[in-house]
Amino acid sequence: MKEDGIELIKDGKRLDGRGFDELRPIKIEVGVLKRADGSCYFELGDNKVIAAVYGPREMHPRHAQDAKMAVLKYRYNMAPFSVEERKRPGPDRRSVEISKISREALEPVILKEYYPKTEIDVYVEILQSDAGTRTAGINAASVALADAGIPMRDLVSSVAVGKIDGEVVLDLNAVEDNNGEADMPIAMIVRRNTITALQMDGRMTKEEFEKGLKLAMNACRRIYELQRTALIERYSEM
Amino acid sequence: MVYKVVIPGDFISDAADRAGEGTYVEDGKVYAIRYGVVDEKEEIKVVPFVGKYMPSKGDVVIGKIIEISFPYWIVDIGSPYEARLHMSEAPADKKIEFGNMHAYLDIDDLMVAKVINIDTLMRIDLRLMEDFQLGGAGRLIEIPHTKVPRIIGRKGSMIKMLKDKCKCFIFVAKNGRIWLKGSEEEMDIASEVILMIANEAHTSGLTDRVAHFLDSYSNKIRKGIER
Amino acid sequence: MGLEIMEDVRMDYVYNLVRGGKREDGRGFLDYREIKLETGVIKRAEGSARVKIGNTEVLVGVKLEPGEPFPDTPDKGVIITNAELVPLASPEFEPGPPNEDSVQLARVVDRGIRGSEAIDLSKLCIEEGEKVWIIFIDIHVLDNDGNLVDAATLGAVASLLETRIPNERYGLTGEDTLDIRDRPVAVTMVEIGGEILVDPSYNEENAAASGLTVISNEDGSISGMQKYWSGSIEEDKIAEMVEIGIEKAGEIRREFLE
Repeated sequence: MKEDGIELIKDGKRLDGRGFDELRPIKIEVGVLKRADGSCYFELGDNKVIAAVYGPREMHPRHAQDAKMAVLKYRYNMAPFSVEERKRPGPDRRSVEISKISREALEPVILKEYYPKTEIDVYVEILQSDAGTRTAGINAASVALADAGIPMRDLVSSVAVGKIDGEVVLDLNAVEDNNGEADMPIAMIVRRNTITALQMDGRMTKEEFEKGLKLAMNACRRIYELQRTALIERYSEM
Repeated sequence: MVYKVVIPGDFISDAADRAGEGTYVEDGKVYAIRYGVVDEKEEIKVVPFVGKYMPSKGDVVIGKIIEISFPYWIVDIGSPYEARLHMSEAPADKKIEFGNMHAYLDIDDLMVAKVINIDTLMRIDLRLMEDFQLGGAGRLIEIPHTKVPRIIGRKGSMIKMLKDKCKCFIFVAKNGRIWLKGSEEEMDIASEVILMIANEAHTSGLTDRVAHFLDSYSNKIRKGIER
Repeated sequence: MGLEIMEDVRMDYVYNLVRGGKREDGRGFLDYREIKLETGVIKRAEGSARVKIGNTEVLVGVKLEPGEPFPDTPDKGVIITNAELVPLASPEFEPGPPNEDSVQLARVVDRGIRGSEAIDLSKLCIEEGEKVWIIFIDIHVLDNDGNLVDAATLGAVASLLETRIPNERYGLTGEDTLDIRDRPVAVTMVEIGGEILVDPSYNEENAAASGLTVISNEDGSISGMQKYWSGSIEEDKIAEMVEIGIEKAGEIRREFLE
């Protein structure tokens, strides 16, 4: 729903000064929580997200166990103060769906068969939201899973593209998202060049979609490098 | 020696025939499956920084009784799976029967045990080791089980140095639990140096630093004992 | 949740069939099962449709009620889409609050309709800031033999096309039909053994590691997408799926929504 008269692109630049293919600043910190087995703090512009991993640990109730592999659980949760208008605590339909697609975005890389009958819990808390929280959450969770020592084939990296004022642009902020024409978050395994999550809402042509997918995949490659650097540097300081 | 830090998915080597723990092979190439450091001495391995302890048959572990469910003591061994100790493991003269198991080993008691069997349902059976009861004396510290090899050192060199210089009893179990017994001061120093090894396990020159650290304290220890 | 042993056997069967170029029911990879659409099936609803795709059967009812607008869109109507996977439709469905599958189904259908801007929400304002029409799209799954999204989307759009605004019931006057400006159609595909299969059956859904719904419009634009399950898809395959999705949507639209 576009506000009347709002111009999202001026002289080839976006309202926050970014070019079309520019990400917001990203900050990643690994191992930020003491009690969790693995954790990661992730900033994407004004999004502030923290992910914690617990497990593998014994799964309760027992009847929900899988005798052949670990069960991955993912909980995306927005803090009540994370958005302009207070978010009522607890899961709503949006967070149920995001939790599901985020879990599925990560599952292809996790070697769940290493830990039969256990569960691996991923908790993602959105502390401050400025559009793109699910992608920030997946990025944080992926790093936190590695930090927890979970066996994985690869990391997963995630970003959204969208369409504003008729242009396909990378990584929408909240103003752009609220006034834009389309939003498409993706997650990908960079080394394999495969997509593990893809959603789209709004409206775009097939050509715009193809352009957007390329843009997003390229951005994932950059995010992957940042995720990797954050993990490597954690143990290289000493 | 320089340790190379890798993350899951990192390419390590083309020598697929030497791929070992913590790696996987795809299209003839070896990749890391865990976040850790590469060890290429014999096999190509990735030694993870952290990770849950997965018991193997023959491991000696320190466990804690968390539940009594006749005829088993249920034991936490710091793994995702609980282990169990059958009542017949108690010496025959103890006459263990339904209702009095706690009199022999009670909830929260610690013990040293060997993993004697793991079945496909991940049921883990334990056997008590001789001198299994650690008693009230001493101190238990816990480090990631992945650091245990560093605490032991090559051919036991590190642990020998620790025992010699700290003067206290140190028992390192496979699941990362370490039992110390000695004076408070000795245990303080032993704890400190063990945690130092665990935190810096992936760095080079560690043995020298540990030796130096222990030497600087040895006078203090001696004084403590003399007094 | 965990598949039963019998289903493991069936999954292998489906997989091997596909590797041999075949599907369980003999259709081609890009063929839909027979689609049947019947509208006006529920007298009490303002619009309704029963959709069958093969054995999959979905009933969609549209109800309109006056209600409060969202604070940020005081002059626009509201769409609320809900899906219930009632236990009669499958041994896997359990009674209780919506689970993640039913939430996902409702949200994907909703996204397709919303994204297409098929409904002009500004025409559903009764009194700005006070009262607007709320369109409830309720999806009731009766028999789940796979591909609920396509059946539900087709049912929802067909219901909306025949929906009458119940002005009289609420003592109001005004237009009595919804202004439907587009006809979004969902096409769901799965990937099994490197092949793309359109309109997956229940067994095919279980055998597939990943799937994709593409919802597209009259002008060939896309107004919703969702990737499913814990497999990953290559970039080229996604492009191919989008292509197929748009083409198939056109065929369904011509046959059922014109």
